[in-house]
Amino acid sequence: MINKQNNKLGWLFASPYIIFGLVFFLGPLLWSLYLSFTNWDLIAPTYDFVGMDNFKKAMHAPGVQASFWVTYKFMMLFVPLVIVMSLGVALVIQGLPKFKSVYLIGFFLPYLSSGVVASLIVQGFLSYNSPVNEFLRKTFGLNIDWLGTPLSALFIVGLILAWKFTGYYALILTSGLESIDKEVYEAAAIDGVTQGQRFWKITLPLLYPALYTTLILAFGVTFGIFTEVYQLTGGGPNFATNTWQMEIFNQAFTNLQAGYASAIAIMASIVTFISIFVIRKLLESWGKRNGWV
Amino acid sequence: MVGSNKNRKSRLAVRYVLATILLLIMVYPYLYMVLNSFADWTQVDRQLIPSKFSFKSYEWLFTGGDVGIARPWMNAFFNSVIVSIASTVLMMLFGVMVAYALAKLNFRGRNAINNFVLFHMFFPAIILLIPNFLIIQKVGLYDTYWAMIIPKAVSLWAIFMYTNFFKAVPDAFIEAAKLDGASDFKILYKIMMPMSKSITAVIFLFLLMERWTELLWDMIVVRSDNMLTLNVLLSQMFGPYGSYPGPLYAASVLLTVPIIIMFAIFGKKFKEGMQFSLK
Repeated sequence: MINKQNNKLGWLFASPYIIFGLVFFLGPLLWSLYLSFTNWDLIAPTYDFVGMDNFKKAMHAPGVQASFWVTYKFMMLFVPLVIVMSLGVALVIQGLPKFKSVYLIGFFLPYLSSGVVASLIVQGFLSYNSPVNEFLRKTFGLNIDWLGTPLSALFIVGLILAWKFTGYYALILTSGLESIDKEVYEAAAIDGVTQGQRFWKITLPLLYPALYTTLILAFGVTFGIFTEVYQLTGGGPNFATNTWQMEIFNQAFTNLQAGYASAIAIMASIVTFISIFVIRKLLESWGKRNGWV
Repeated sequence: MVGSNKNRKSRLAVRYVLATILLLIMVYPYLYMVLNSFADWTQVDRQLIPSKFSFKSYEWLFTGGDVGIARPWMNAFFNSVIVSIASTVLMMLFGVMVAYALAKLNFRGRNAINNFVLFHMFFPAIILLIPNFLIIQKVGLYDTYWAMIIPKAVSLWAIFMYTNFFKAVPDAFIEAAKLDGASDFKILYKIMMPMSKSITAVIFLFLLMERWTELLWDMIVVRSDNMLTLNVLLSQMFGPYGSYPGPLYAASVLLTVPIIIMFAIFGKKFKEGMQFSLK
């Protein structure tokens, strides 16, 4: 029933979003596009239009190229790690007769942490005189600069993120597992299905919707990594952990290259948008090919 | 089937042991943080489990210690409280209002707004960082609480979640209330909100947690030492407090504990709400 009064009320109730969307989304979007064609430095009152120069410069900049690849490196590391960990947790605690929610809440706690705090703990834990490094030095004569070595720096940031998200994803997967009808398992047991077959042929297909949600969330995380990298490596060593956010932050607020940074932000958005789209399509076709959807 | 019951029991025992070990590994970083915040300063970051304890790290939270800034930690804590609560309350309020319009009010342009919300939600937000910073600067809000509150006053996710929840509420409730002469504000307040307590707990906790631990935005729109949030202050003190890690751990505890307390308070409602939101 659309009438005049409903129209007014509808717009009134929706007005907070409409104003917000115009001021902090649509306007900025256009402004960003405009800025990306200028050489503005965030301070000077005047600036020039430079056409596509910012984009051309960004294409060849080592920092930007690193951002592009680092995102996928984090993806290769973080996504399998967090899926294995959360699936492991979910399989262990699903259907426990007692204390299940105590475990679920316990595993969820890391999700409440601040990335700054997690970084601080990891930095302390891996500092030169820490028990771990002391042990490695005394026993194996190893002296590892954890955050100064490209591969281990990448791995440590991936591990912090996996630690943070495992409990949250385990919660999603547990409720997925528990929605599977017990009779299916009982019927399978009568047919003499092995544990391995049971997981691949029954659990995984029926878990697919929950797994899909988890995977989409996990892939999304890799495009927004900032805090841990900012805190622990600053994008180094030698751009090994330089994410898009890190690069944009550095160009805009350290080097004050607002125009150039806007161009990078637009490139980052396009890359993110396309990547997520492709990942979604791949995941969906993976499910369809196996007849899970 | 005689042996299978025993088998089942022992398999269950193995799962409990496994779950407990995994849980201990996952919460160990928190344990490490708490123990180090109470550790004697000769032992901070030197032992897996410290053996000598002191309150010196916490004393520094109140006095500022030798670093030269007086009482920055408690001040930052209150900044965090003000900003997080104001911002989260606004996100909830506007989320409920907009969602009610999108789910239950039939008005011209509703579909367009609905689609725009989805477009906005899935758009990579990084592109907005610089222009939003410039807007804050242009309207003279740089270095104020408002700079941290207004651009974080609307949550697309909250709108999305409430819209889905409200859509599941039968229209008959609303029509009956309207026949009794209730206004839409009253319906929202008296019918929709009481029905959505558990989903509200979930949305509130997620939003509060996210706002409380925000770094990038709060870092760029504020400059004065007395305006920083606790998370930003902690982030900036990595260097200056580099040789005093004890107080940094104490500040981390100060930053972590309130969220865990909130989680404990709303824990039960949260569990119910998660069940809906995961459907």
